Amino acid sequence: MARIELKDVVKRYGGFTGVRRMDLDIADEEFLVLLGPSGCGKTTTMRMIAGLEVPSEGEVVIGGEVVNEVDARDRDVAMVFQGYALYPNMSIYENIRFPLRMRGIPKADQDRLIRRAAEMVELGDFLDRKPGALSGGQRQRAALARAVVRQPQVFLMDEPLSNLDAKLRSSMRVQIKHLQRQLKITTVYVTHDQIEAMTLADRIVIMEKGAIRQIGTPDEIYSDPADTFVAGFIGAPPMNLVEGLAENGRFAAPGLVVACPGGVSGRVTLGVRPEDCHVVGEGLAALEGRVYGVEPTGETTYLTLRTGETLFEVKAARDARFNLGDLVRIGFDPDRLCYFDTETGARLRVQPYRSVA
Amino acid sequence: MAKRRKSKGDNLVLRYLVLGSWALFCLVPIVWFLSIGFRPRTEIITPTPIYWPTFSLDAWRLLLADWPIFDYLRNSVLAVTGSVVIDLILGIPAAYSLTRYEYRGRDDIGFYILSTRMMAPAIVAIPIFFLFRNLGLLDSVFALMLIYAAVNLSIVVWIIRSYMLDIPKELEDAARTDGAGDLRILWEIIIPACLPGIITASVIAAIFAINEFLFTLLIASTKNAYTMSVALANFTGGSDGVIYNAIALVSFLAFLPILVLIVLIQKHLSRGLTMGAVKG
Amino acid sequence: MAAIDQTGGAAQAAPDRARPREKTLRRRSPALRRAFPYLLVAPAVIYLLGITLYPGAYAVYQSFYLVRFTEWIPVGFDNYVELAGDAEFWQAMLNTLLIGGIALTVECVIAMALAFFAYRDALIRGWRIAFLMPMLFMPSAVAFIWKLAFNDGRVISDLLRKLGLIEGNLDFLGNIWLARTTLIVADVWQWTPFLFIIFVAALQSQDQEVEEAARLDGASWPAIFWNISLPMIRPVIAVAVVLRGIDIMTMFTNVFILTKGTPGGMTETISYFIYRQGFQTFNFGYASAAAVVMLVITILAAQLVVKRAFKSGKT
Repeated sequence: MARIELKDVVKRYGGFTGVRRMDLDIADEEFLVLLGPSGCGKTTTMRMIAGLEVPSEGEVVIGGEVVNEVDARDRDVAMVFQGYALYPNMSIYENIRFPLRMRGIPKADQDRLIRRAAEMVELGDFLDRKPGALSGGQRQRAALARAVVRQPQVFLMDEPLSNLDAKLRSSMRVQIKHLQRQLKITTVYVTHDQIEAMTLADRIVIMEKGAIRQIGTPDEIYSDPADTFVAGFIGAPPMNLVEGLAENGRFAAPGLVVACPGGVSGRVTLGVRPEDCHVVGEGLAALEGRVYGVEPTGETTYLTLRTGETLFEVKAARDARFNLGDLVRIGFDPDRLCYFDTETGARLRVQPYRSVA
Repeated sequence: MAKRRKSKGDNLVLRYLVLGSWALFCLVPIVWFLSIGFRPRTEIITPTPIYWPTFSLDAWRLLLADWPIFDYLRNSVLAVTGSVVIDLILGIPAAYSLTRYEYRGRDDIGFYILSTRMMAPAIVAIPIFFLFRNLGLLDSVFALMLIYAAVNLSIVVWIIRSYMLDIPKELEDAARTDGAGDLRILWEIIIPACLPGIITASVIAAIFAINEFLFTLLIASTKNAYTMSVALANFTGGSDGVIYNAIALVSFLAFLPILVLIVLIQKHLSRGLTMGAVKG
Repeated sequence: MAAIDQTGGAAQAAPDRARPREKTLRRRSPALRRAFPYLLVAPAVIYLLGITLYPGAYAVYQSFYLVRFTEWIPVGFDNYVELAGDAEFWQAMLNTLLIGGIALTVECVIAMALAFFAYRDALIRGWRIAFLMPMLFMPSAVAFIWKLAFNDGRVISDLLRKLGLIEGNLDFLGNIWLARTTLIVADVWQWTPFLFIIFVAALQSQDQEVEEAARLDGASWPAIFWNISLPMIRPVIAVAVVLRGIDIMTMFTNVFILTKGTPGGMTETISYFIYRQGFQTFNFGYASAAAVVMLVITILAAQLVVKRAFKSGKT
């Protein structure tokens, strides 16, 4: 329905800068997730799109039109809130009707639209209830129905699933994605939960301290992190980051030696995802460490190894069992290694190293 | 295992003795005063008090025959209701402004409103008297309405403000993105959501208005404006002195509606009485 | 609403879309946006200024005049000079502080003791209303209850006599401290419930886990109450005491009905002093000067005490 652009947007609160110089282009019908730790400015960014905050600088453009001064009520944007924000004094039916009423939709059409929206979220039987009489999941769906009912240009969702328990969350995730694909409405979704981000997004924007760290598809974000922040933020457990020295095609850190591309040298941080590590025999090992912890999850076993001063996470086979203190040797998937500048944290882009053997 | 024993200070006998005596101290004068309302005039002021009087409806007859009791009642009801309506019309938007917007001077304005609660009636009594005299409003219910509203406005604003602070901001953001304007949000979302606060504020303001004495004493001079509260002070029969049985009856006439109102907002009472400072 | 209309470009709604008309984007002027909260609060503020600023200014102005019926004679600071040398005025100040101070202290102590016994008691909860009864009477009615009990009906004397404490009758209006006691008793009787209910509510709404933890640590209930519960509700106590203090220091109704300042002006409060100067001796300029003094004290108290109490009372 609408493309959203943020051009050089800045938001300051007194002396504090909530969002610094943000440029973002959200395509029509895209599902974009803003991901980051709390206080990173993701919610502020969303609220500026909604019109609930006015940018200190820059322009917010929705559907080709600068909307900085347009009040939230006129932006044709629907928002789903973390606490659902259902009007407690109104029935679910009245809640869903409220945006229609505010927009002067003819009475004759209202009922049809409300019932269709309620059906979409399987809430048809609960229209007469007050929000207080619904469960958390039902309230969440009611909030969705209220957003869906008027077919807005833009959906904004501010951590809509964070108050639900884990099971409900995963089923609601599927439902939200399905709805968005069905309605083809540009959606901006804020979360600090990376699973939500990875599963829902067409593209993810990773934010930290009011600035964008990386924009990319979930695959890009996961496999090709732009810096140590993204690398350490995404993945559970996250990418192992080991500081060391690279010279003459060798990267070395206490307990760890690995061949590295020639272009990498100096003080460098090596990044390895736990699933790109394998328990290997003597001679093939890049890393040696003693077992610090063993966490079987059922589908796999996570090993925590101690090498020198750092702890190192390895994803091992589901039946891998070790005792604390055992010496374990680890080999890496060579083309999956990432190198970062230790000083700046930025990714060192070099020809990926390919094993000759 | 530690020995089972009653912890010190948890003495039930002492507890109920203390609480029971205070309850008696509260209730006995009330019961006794009620008995005053139903005894003949001759058994009220006697050389030694009479504790078991003969039952009599003298006071009722006296009230209905000699005193315009229904005028007092009507004046009280009109002045009190009117003042509460004025308070709500002025106070709800003010409370909304103080809770939901950030602007320069907001806290000072809030504190100014609060500080009017501290103004002793006696300080402004004379100027208010002259003001109403010049406006030709002396001895009118309308003047009482205005002054009660002014006296209670600070209470109303602060109580409602306290309840509005409890409403999540999200609710308002949701309404705004749904397409509602500021005033509509106030009317359709905020007011229904803080209705308990509005009711509490209204009840407390009403009770204070019923009780008001000094301003009423100055403004009212005939049955045109005498309220129950001040009418009591006029129940004297010249040489006979104070007509206590009539006073007792009128006291209870005012007491009953207040009791009903208080029971109605019992859960919110302490919050209301502290102007929202206690969430009890 | 000041709005610049501009046609929305992106409203090419599909037939099934819930958008009935070409949308207009309202752009609200920043000036209106900024003024709006002031507009909401303005009526209340103006109304209150009407009963504080206007009368305050009027009182200050009038305090420089000698008012005789419709004649106003400017006298400069004479009213204040006279006030400073007026023993009755100073006596009224002292009376207010004595009577108010004692009553407030007694009310606090009793209310706190009652709250200590009541707040963990489910039985009392149901009967709480019994403790509130005195508060539900009009203050003028309460004054008459005690006027009859102390003075006209001699009930208190009779009861004391039956207990063998006195002989004959006590003249409650003839003795300074007996007269003050009647005012204090009337106030304590009516308003201790006010503090009681607030204290109980505050004690009940605090986090019970802290008390339970202290209990497991081996503290007795009085120790818990004194060391843990009371400090936790201190902000609430401050607010309640300040509110009660304001009312008690402006006491008028009880004096007007019970004692009229007798004996010899020893129970006259400041409020009653102003009333008497204004509406009984019609010395309006002089009464206004006293009112101005009281106003100054009020403003100081508001800044020093009340502001702080309400700041900390906010949760």
